[in-house]
Amino acid sequence: MDKDPLILLIDDEPQILRALKTILSANHFRVSSAVTGEEGIALAAAQLPDIIVLDLTLPDMDGVQVCSQIREWSAVPIIILSVRDSEKDKVAALDMGADDYLTKPFGIEELLARIRVAIRHSQATSGKKESVIHAGPIVLDLSKHIATRDGEELKLTATEFKLLAYLAAHSDRVLTHQAILTHVWGFEESDHLEYLRVYIGQLRKKVEENPEDPKLIITDPGIGYRFKSIDQ
Amino acid sequence: MRKNILKIILSFFGPLLFVALTSLLLEWTSSLLNVQNMALIYLIPVMVSSVIWGLFAGLFAGLISFLAFNFFFIQPYNTLLVHQSQDLITLAVFLAVAVLLSQLIGQTRKAALLAKEREWEATRMYELISSLAGTTSIPSISETLAEKLGSNFELEHVEVDINAPSFPKKVTGTHPPGEKPDRLPEITKPMKTQRDQEGEIRIWQATGNLSNTEERLLEAFAEQGALAVERIRLSQGETKIHVLEESDRLKTSILNSVSHELRSPLAAIKASISSLRSGAVPWEHAARQELLTTIEEETDQLNLLVGNLLDMSRIESGSLEPHLRWNSIPEIAKSAAARMKGQLSGHILDFQLPGDLPLVPSDYVLLEQVFINLLSNSAKYAPEKTRIVVCAGLEKESIHIRVKNQSPHVAEDELQNIFEKFHRVTRADKVIGTGLGLSICKGIIEAHGGRIWAENLEDGFQFIFTLPLLLNGNLPETPKEVIDG
Repeated sequence: MDKDPLILLIDDEPQILRALKTILSANHFRVSSAVTGEEGIALAAAQLPDIIVLDLTLPDMDGVQVCSQIREWSAVPIIILSVRDSEKDKVAALDMGADDYLTKPFGIEELLARIRVAIRHSQATSGKKESVIHAGPIVLDLSKHIATRDGEELKLTATEFKLLAYLAAHSDRVLTHQAILTHVWGFEESDHLEYLRVYIGQLRKKVEENPEDPKLIITDPGIGYRFKSIDQ
Repeated sequence: MRKNILKIILSFFGPLLFVALTSLLLEWTSSLLNVQNMALIYLIPVMVSSVIWGLFAGLFAGLISFLAFNFFFIQPYNTLLVHQSQDLITLAVFLAVAVLLSQLIGQTRKAALLAKEREWEATRMYELISSLAGTTSIPSISETLAEKLGSNFELEHVEVDINAPSFPKKVTGTHPPGEKPDRLPEITKPMKTQRDQEGEIRIWQATGNLSNTEERLLEAFAEQGALAVERIRLSQGETKIHVLEESDRLKTSILNSVSHELRSPLAAIKASISSLRSGAVPWEHAARQELLTTIEEETDQLNLLVGNLLDMSRIESGSLEPHLRWNSIPEIAKSAAARMKGQLSGHILDFQLPGDLPLVPSDYVLLEQVFINLLSNSAKYAPEKTRIVVCAGLEKESIHIRVKNQSPHVAEDELQNIFEKFHRVTRADKVIGTGLGLSICKGIIEAHGGRIWAENLEDGFQFIFTLPLLLNGNLPETPKEVIDG
């Protein structure tokens, strides 16, 4: 890449904007910012940023709405910022097309890691789909239906394989319960979280070194799961 | 109305008939009786008429008895003339006695009737008052009043409107239930207290007039209804004041507690940052890291505090609604422990959770908060290097989860209180915290339909909480394998 990636920050709190601008610039990002949803959407269209960091509570409109409006014409990665206790909004934004979320207050390392993952994914999806997924110690060969961990073959049922493949293909990003249920089981708008809990439990037993202390398949409380391929 | 005419006719013909019968009887037996005996016997129809039909019938009976006596049995017969002065005295005395008697009996009878009427009124009033005393809301007052009016009065339809200060402007009770007649009510009665008009009673009744008794009773009903409304308004006001006072007291103690809790981390952060900025001292790498760690930890502490305050206010306002979904308790417990890593580093954490525990309907985030608060409490009070055990078991239709530690015993009578807001067993300056943690746990567990309590153990202390295993009466569905692969 010849230029540093451009980040659009949409947040109405000046302290947060000031801090993030300083930190992100120091980390070799170009930064532009908007303090309202409307301004944010306009800037997103005018500047075509590489990634958007969006606060859910904005003075003029709902962050979820901003997210869905941008998604109508752009696939730019969007990371949601919000406070604890707004799981519903987070899930709504994620199901509306946001790529990831962070809960305020957050560590800057975490934000930088999420931004990098999101940019990497948006570049990867523009290429062709691979039939072999590498995610941390896990390698999945989709055409041959083989999963290995550190070269050792894992004995997975069809559902477990499908679940693991979905998680690994989107590694380091959160996947909502609903997204997983829809993708793996084909449930539209279902509440069968029990399916997910049971299968994630089984999968952890087979995939994790210590299923009691999972390092690969991480729970995002109230939101969904995340497959971790890199150490943040 | 027809009843009254019948009554008048009867009280006229009745005495007439009685006197006629008496005269006939005396005619047959006249040979056996003297004039004085006859006068006495003529008093019988007077008495009977007075008792049955009242004063006027009695007087009327007296008059016709007097005439009949004179006509048939005083010489010269079949005239109203009297020749002997002796007979005149008998007649005069008879008339006087008859009048006196009928008056006495009539009055007694009237008094008895009145007493009966009053008794009826009093019973109705008592019934009304005792049903009104049980009412706790304005709509139930209007319903009760309408129902009582409907059952005690002869009427087509009754409506009781009670004015309300806010929307809806009016509360209406009706009897019998259903549509009111399509015309204006014949009788309306305002319900007034000394301060205000509280409402109105509207009665549909074809004749449009009430008896004196009914009038009086209606008046009393209206008054009692108004008083009941006033009573409820006053008690509602009082409750509101009580709640306000309580919440004011709570806010003051939150402010006291929180300002201290907010200042200590802020002080540490401010001190660290200003030292780093000052440039007066060239900081070594290690010291720098130490200050930065302090800042980060204290920030987390502040965040935890704000989270607790938020939870508390949601519990207080009753807006805490757990989003119940099937969750795994071990997963939640471990994720809480992971978040608490720093605080728990001095203790040995031991999870004794069986692998086959069922999924439990719960709110992941809230339940994680419960574990965080219980673990944080254990870490604060239990000595370092001791064991904190989290274990779980099933009992009937609930799961029992225990967090055991080796902290000192809590007095038995304090065990209940530790879940109260701002309650702390030890002195406030010895241990950090707002005293909110356990009361938040209680709020969250109760919102899940469970129970939480604490017990002293032989070698420590334990928190126990229960959660129901069924969600809307169901266990979790057994998941299906996907077919396609």
